[in-house]
This record gives sequence, C-alpha cells and structure tokens, in this order.
Amino acid sequence: MDLAYQLAGIVAPVFICIAIGIGWARFGPPFDTEFITSLVYNIGVPCLIVATFQKVRLTPEALGELALATLACYAAFAVAAYALVKLARLDVPSYLPALIFPLTASMGMPVCYFAFGDLGLALAIVFFAIGAIGTFTVGAAIAEGSWSAGRLARTPVLYAILIAVVLQLADLRMPDWIFNTTNLLGAMVIPAQLVALGVSLLQLQVGGIARSGALGLFRLAMGAAVGFGIAEAFGLEGVARAVVILQSAMPVAVSSYLFAQQFHRKPEEVAGMVVVSTAVSVVTLPLLLVLLL
Amino acid sequence: MILKILSVIAPVFVCAGIGFLWGRTGRPFDTRMVGALALNIGMPCLAFSTLTELKVSPEAFATMAGAYALAMVCFLAVGLAVITVLKLPAHTYLPVFTSSNTGNMGLPLCLFAFGPEGLALGIGIFVMSSLFSFTVGWSIYAGRFAADVFYNNPLIYAVALALAFMIPGVEPPAWLANTTKLIGGLAIPLMIVSLGVAIANMRAQGAVTIIGISVVKLLAGFAVGYGLAEALGLEGAARGTLIIECAMPVAVHNYMFAQRFNRNAADTASMILISTVIALAMLPLLMLVVL
Repeated sequence: MDLAYQLAGIVAPVFICIAIGIGWARFGPPFDTEFITSLVYNIGVPCLIVATFQKVRLTPEALGELALATLACYAAFAVAAYALVKLARLDVPSYLPALIFPLTASMGMPVCYFAFGDLGLALAIVFFAIGAIGTFTVGAAIAEGSWSAGRLARTPVLYAILIAVVLQLADLRMPDWIFNTTNLLGAMVIPAQLVALGVSLLQLQVGGIARSGALGLFRLAMGAAVGFGIAEAFGLEGVARAVVILQSAMPVAVSSYLFAQQFHRKPEEVAGMVVVSTAVSVVTLPLLLVLLL
Repeated sequence: MILKILSVIAPVFVCAGIGFLWGRTGRPFDTRMVGALALNIGMPCLAFSTLTELKVSPEAFATMAGAYALAMVCFLAVGLAVITVLKLPAHTYLPVFTSSNTGNMGLPLCLFAFGPEGLALGIGIFVMSSLFSFTVGWSIYAGRFAADVFYNNPLIYAVALALAFMIPGVEPPAWLANTTKLIGGLAIPLMIVSLGVAIANMRAQGAVTIIGISVVKLLAGFAVGYGLAEALGLEGAARGTLIIECAMPVAVHNYMFAQRFNRNAADTASMILISTVIALAMLPLLMLVVL
C-alpha cells in the first residue's frame, strides 16, 4: 500500500500532465507546440539547469562518473540500434535516432525528481544534457545527412551546461537574484513539456503501427537492459544507479519525430514509435520503479 | 538590504524583460494560449499547492481576502471621486482603479519577499481580486451584470478544494500534491513573461489626464494598503503582502475587456503601460517600506 502510494506520487504528475495535453488538443484552443518548445528550450531549460545545480552540489568525481556512464549508455544504444536497423534492413537515417534517444527531459526529469528529489533531478539533467548535445549534433546529423556545428553554437542549453559545470567545479554560488529568477523560469519546463507532449501525441500522424510499435517496444526493452548493464559495469549505487536505469529506459523522444518531420525521414513511423512506447511506459515505468525504489 | 531587494525584484524585471524582448523582436507569442495555460491550468494548481502546504492558517488566508475586499471598496470610492471630478465615463475608467496586477506582478513579489507564506497570503488577495475583476469589473465594461465568469473560473474550485484540506489541517495525498506543485510552476513565469510581451505590444499616449489617473491610482493604492495594514494591525508578511498587492499597477486584462466592449482601448493601454512603468521604477522603494 505504501509502495503504491509512493509510486502514484512519482508517476501521477507525469501522466496527469500528459492527459491534460491530450485533453487540450481535443477540446481546448489551438496549442502551438513549436512556440512552447521554443520558449522552453531557449529560456526554461537553461534556467532549470543553472538553478538545479545551485541547489545540488555534486563532487567532480560523481559528476565525471555519471557523465562517463551516460556516454557509455548512448554508445550502447547506438550499437544496439544500429545492429537492429541493419538486421531488419531498415532505413538508417529514419530509424536510428529514434531508437537511440530516450525521452530524458519531459519524462525522465520529473520521474527522477519525484522519486529522488533535487539530487535525482540534477543527475537526470546530466544524463539529459549529454543526450541533448548528442541529439542536436549526432542525431540531427544522421537525420539530415550532414554535420552542422552552427546548430550546437546556437543552443542556449550548451551555455547553461558550461555555466553549471564551472560553478560546480569552482564551487561558486550565484547571487540570490539570479537564483530566484532562474528557479522561477526553470519551473515551467517540465509541466510545459509534458502538456506539449500530450498535445503532440494526439496530433501525430501515425502510420504503420505494427512495425513502429515493435520498434518502440525495442527502445524500452533495450534501454532498460543497457541501463542495468552499464550501472552494473560502472558499479553505480543508489540514486545514480536508479537515474541511469530510469533515463535509459525512457520511451522514444518526441524530438526524434520533430527531426524526422523536418528532414522528411518517415515521420509517421517515428510518430508510431513515440505513441506506442509512451503508452506502454504507463505500465512499464511503475514496474521499473518497483525494482529501483 | 540592497541584495535582498534585488533578489525580490530581479525575477520580475528579468522575466518581464524577456517577454518584452520576445515581443519587440516580433517572435510569435500566442498570448491567448499562454494565458489559458497560465490562468486556467497553472494558477488553480499553484493556488491549491501553495495553500495545502499549510504554511498559512485558514484564518490568515481569510483575513487577507477580507482586507483586500476593504481595499477594493476604498479603490472604488477613489475611482468614483476621480471620474466625477474629471467627468469621465465609468465604463472605461472605473475598473482601472479596482483591477490591479495582483497576479502577474504581485505574486512573484510576495513570494520572493516573504517565501511560501507570502505567496499563500498573496493568493488570498489574488483570488479576491480576480473574483472582483471578472464579475464587477467585467460587468462595468460590459454594461450589464454577468456572473457566469464567476463559476467558470477554475481558481474558485481549486481554492474551495484547498480549503477542504486547510480547515481540518490535512495534507493532500502525494500524487495530488506533486501534480499540482509541478503544474503550478507554470503560472508565475508564464504570467510575467506575458506581461512583458503585452507591454511590448502596447502604445502609450502621454495625455496629462492619462498620466494623472495612473499616478493617482498608484498613490491611492499604496496609501490604502499602508493605511489598512495599520488600521487592521497587520504585521510582517501579512502587512507586506497587503501593501505590495494594493500598490500594483492597472491590470493587463482591462485592455482585453476594453477591446472586447469597445471602451477606448487606447486610453486603457496607455494607463496600463504608464502605471506599470512607474510601478516598476518604484519597486525598490516599495520593498524598502515592506521588508
């Protein structure tokens, strides 16, 4: 009973926000997902990163260990996804990014926050930040078929990460006025993203549900397996272990759909993967939490 | 003291500044969607979540709402006096005195000046202020009485639900507390950024009457807040919250109402803009009085 109560406290906020988004898309006024994403990514996320690392101090060792484990996770995702795509003779640019990148921001961050507090959120942000840099460089490069350094330089998230890392390593604290401001603006990130996710889920043009569904399930199972394996290999414990596993096992990222749409890489199929893996995570996420709490 | 004041007012300036730049650079900003997200979803959750943290007793909450009701009666009297003297139409100029930016500007100030307790007390005032604006204020603009806005406002239900937990002093279940806290985080930043965007899109004409009304509104607001806090013997966060909220500039939604009912929207925009700019400039002094 206690466990059920605790689980509800962690997953209810996530799924209720998504449900609000679905309800909004169905009954509400027009919802401009692109605008909200722009507001969240250009202003909210950088503020959230800076503010969270004011609240949580990680040792350079802990930070480094987690960063390495995260890189190892992404490398493992890439290898596993590439193997599957080749074996199944699928189109690499369309399917590879969607299989690699999990939904670490809108779903991973709130789950880790409600399960493990500010420490959980800080570690989840490290995992997300490394993935975000990857998504905006490698992921986009695969989908686009070319490399673009300019995209990375135009990402405010990157500068926020640099500031957070410098503050951590030099053990500096920001003045209250910056903290209050960034903390306030950062608070909109998770709910706005989850509502936008709900809206997107209803708006996605899904096609070929059988194949994309199977690929979505592969992302969840492969992610969880890689997460457990890497956590074991790096000897991670406690919150760090749980965060690496949770973040690895997140469903297909919506950003993969946006890239697929932008570069005409089978967006309907990627949409199917997003919808199926998100829907299935309603069941698999609580199960995973039972193992980790 | 300077740093403390800065930590209270900087969030308002920076967030409104972001909105202002966003508006001025012509990036798309869907005010209607952001308003719906902040006011219909974010704000009820913020009110529920803040009130059920039980930092404030139901009595203190009711005291603030009651004190602000008295303040609004004073604002009405001042407003009626001014429009009678200047022979201005009530349907455009009266709500300017009674509807203030208690939400998008007042709440973050209350929060950063007095913490969660200040926010909870500020919400007591905000609830009273929005009830009044969306019934009496709306009716003055519309020229007929309308009460449907009252029960269509999700904030009422959120506060009623919160009181059901506050009065017996029970904490809500984790799933509800976490969900409302998460979604409540949307309300304040979205509201202040929208305020900046609204200011960026408004034009002011500096007619003497307009500037005069704006100044009278702000001075009367401050005087009423200060006087009521003294008269009611309020102290600390309660005193500060009442003075801050009473001294807030003309509410942005007056412009939407004025547009909708063809009530000289240009003058309303000017009064909003001028009173907001003066209020922003005066914030350090205001904080000096309340902190």
